[in-house]
Amino acid sequence: MNDGPALEPWEVFRREKDGDPMRHGGSVMAPDADLALHYARELYGRRQESVRLWIVRRADIIDLEDADLLQPPLDRSFKKPGGYVMRDKLAAAREAAGQSKPKARDRR
Amino acid sequence: MSRSAAAVPPAPTAVAGLEALLRSMADDEFVIGFSDSEWTGIAPLLEEDIAMSSLAQDELGHAAALYGLLAELTDTDADALAYDREPGDYQHARLLDHGRGDWAMTIARRYLYETADAVRLEALVGGSWAPLADLVGKLVREERYHQMHIGSWLERLATAEGEPRDRLRAALGTLGPDAGTVFTPLPGEPALVADGILARPMAELEADWRARITSVFDRLRLPQPPPTRDPERGRTDHGDAFTWLHGEFTIVRRSDPGATW
Amino acid sequence: MTDPLALDPVLAPSDRASGGAPARQHDEAYDAWFERFEAHVMAGGKVESTDAMPDEYRTAVLRFVEMHANSELMGVLPEREWLMRAPTLRRKLALTAKVQDEVGHAQLLYRIAEDLGKPREAMFDDLLAGKTKFHNVFHYPTVGWADVGMIAWLVDAAAIVAQQALRDSSYAPYARTMRKICWEESVHIMHGRDVVVTMVTGTPAQRAAIQDALDRWWGPLMQMHGPRSPRDKDMDLRWRIKAKSSEELRQEFLTIYVPRIRELGLVIPDAELRYDDDARQWHYTEPDWNELRTVVTNHGPMSEARLEFRRLARADTAWVRETILAAPQAA
Repeated sequence: MNDGPALEPWEVFRREKDGDPMRHGGSVMAPDADLALHYARELYGRRQESVRLWIVRRADIIDLEDADLLQPPLDRSFKKPGGYVMRDKLAAAREAAGQSKPKARDRR
Repeated sequence: MSRSAAAVPPAPTAVAGLEALLRSMADDEFVIGFSDSEWTGIAPLLEEDIAMSSLAQDELGHAAALYGLLAELTDTDADALAYDREPGDYQHARLLDHGRGDWAMTIARRYLYETADAVRLEALVGGSWAPLADLVGKLVREERYHQMHIGSWLERLATAEGEPRDRLRAALGTLGPDAGTVFTPLPGEPALVADGILARPMAELEADWRARITSVFDRLRLPQPPPTRDPERGRTDHGDAFTWLHGEFTIVRRSDPGATW
Repeated sequence: MTDPLALDPVLAPSDRASGGAPARQHDEAYDAWFERFEAHVMAGGKVESTDAMPDEYRTAVLRFVEMHANSELMGVLPEREWLMRAPTLRRKLALTAKVQDEVGHAQLLYRIAEDLGKPREAMFDDLLAGKTKFHNVFHYPTVGWADVGMIAWLVDAAAIVAQQALRDSSYAPYARTMRKICWEESVHIMHGRDVVVTMVTGTPAQRAAIQDALDRWWGPLMQMHGPRSPRDKDMDLRWRIKAKSSEELRQEFLTIYVPRIRELGLVIPDAELRYDDDARQWHYTEPDWNELRTVVTNHGPMSEARLEFRRLARADTAWVRETILAAPQAA
C-alpha cells in the first residue's frame, strides 16, 4: 500500500489580466507541489484565461476568521469616511457666512 | 503570424522530403491524440483526466497545423489529409499503433514519443524553410508543458515500488522494439538535410535520442529500448488496430460524402 | 440541472437519494440558532464551507451538489464515443474541449462536496451502486453525429437555464462555481448550435438526422427539470440553495429555445406546445413522469451499460490510486 503523500487540497489564486489582483479561483486535489501546479494550470489556466497562478497547500494557509479580531464590537467609525458627517454643520456655516452651496465646478 | 507556404515556396529539391516529413509528423500527432483522448472521463483522477485531455487537444492542434502546412504544399485541405486517406497511406510511427493499454502503457508510450519528438523538433528549429521554422518555434514552446508532465509521471511510476514499477517495465518491454520508429528514415530526407530544413539525418537523431534515454533509464533502472524491429517498415504496416481506428474516425464523413460538418 | 428534490414526486421513498438528516430533539438554544441561520439565508445571507450550519442544510446542499457532480461525470459518456468519430479537425477539438469542461465541472462540484465532508471515493461508490442519481438525459443512447449537436445545444441549454438560477445560491462556494460553469457552458451551446445549423443547411440526410434527433430528445428534455413540486415544501427554495422551481426553469427554457428551434424549420414533436398569452405560460403535453422515474432509477436504455463501463474503468485504474494518487486518509 501507499507510504507516500496522499491527495490533499491545494488552493489556486489567479490573475486574469495585467494589473488585476490575485483572486481565489478554487482548489485541486494533488499529492505534491509538482502535480498541484499541473492541475492548477488545467483547472484555472487551460483556456489562456489567467496570466499568473499562485498554488498553495490549504494546510499551509493561515486562516483568520475570528470575529473579535476582524469585527470587534466598539465603535470604529473614526477610521471610515462614514464617520464624518458634516452636512448640518456645513449648512450652518454657509448660512452664517451668507453663502450658498457652491456648484460642483464653481471656481469662484 | 507564420509565413505561408504560398508566400515562401520551398526549394523544389526539398518538396518531396518536406511532404514526407510533414505527413509523418502530422500523422504522429493525430494518432497519438486518439489514444490519449481515450482516457477522457476515465483517467485515474479527475484532475489528471483534465490534464490528459489538454495534452490530447494540443496534439490535435499540432496535427491540424502540420496538416495545414502540408495542405498548402499539396493544394488540398487539412481535413481531407486527416480523414480521406486509406489506412495504408498513413505514415505515423508504429510505436503509436499499440492499443491504449493501462495507465502505465500510456505513460510509457507518451514518454518514448515526446522525448523522440523533442529531438526531432530541435533538429527543425531555425530551419531554412520559414513556414516550417515558424511553426516549429511555436510547437517547441507548447511541448515544454508536455515534457514537464511526462517526465514527472515517468519518475512517479518508476520510483513507486511494486505494481507501478512492474507495470511500467512491462509496458516499456512491449513498446521497446517500436520505440525508434519515430526516426524511420524518410523518402527525400537527404535533400531536407542538404537544404538546411532538417539539421541532421533521422539516423543521427535516433542515436541522440537513445543516448538521452539511456541516462534517464539507467538512473531509474528501466529496460533500455532494443534496436528497432523491422526499421524500414517503421511507418507502415499499421495492423488491424489502426484499420479499426480508421473505420471509426471516418464513419461520420463516409455516411454522407461531400457534406459539410 | 434538476435537483434531487424535484424528482421526489415521482420516486418511491426507497428510490430517493439517501440523505435527510434524522429529526433531532432540539433544545431551545439550538432552536434559536437554527432560526437565526434560517433568517440569515432567507434574507440572502451566504454560507461558507467553514461556517457552522445545521445538519439539515448541510445535507440538502450536499445532496444537491452531489447529484449535479454525478451528472457532469456521467454526461461525459454519451459524447465520449463521438470524440473518435468527429468528422473534422475543428469539430474534434471543440468536442474534446467540451467534454473536458464537463470533467472539469465534475471536479469543481465534487470538490465542493468533499469540503462539506464526503470523500470523493465515497461519492463514486454511491453513484456506481445506484444509491445516488444522475440526470435523465444521460441515460439515453447517442445514435449519430446529429445527437452530438443536439445534446451540446439543447441539453446544455436546459442545464444552463438551471445553472444560471443557482448563481446566487446561499451556499457561496456553489454560487461561485456556478458562475464559472455558466461562463464555460455558454461556449458549449454555441458549438452545439453551430453543428445543428450546419447540418440543417446541409444535405437532406443531415437535415433529416437533425429532425430525428430532436424527435428523440424532446421527451427527455421536457422531463429534465423534473415534475412540478409544491413550493412551500421545497426546502432548497426556502433556504435559497436554489432560486427557481422546476416549472419556472422549464418555462424559461421553452421561452428562449422554442423560437430558436422553430427558426431553423425544425418541428417540435408536441402538437400541444403553444404559448398562452393570457396565462403567460407555455402549454405542453404532460411529460411522461413514469419514464423519468424508470430512467433515473437506473433502468434507462443506457443506465446499466454506462455504470458498468465506469465500474470497469475505475477498477482498471485502482492501482494508481492505491499508490501514487492515494485518497486522503479519513479525517
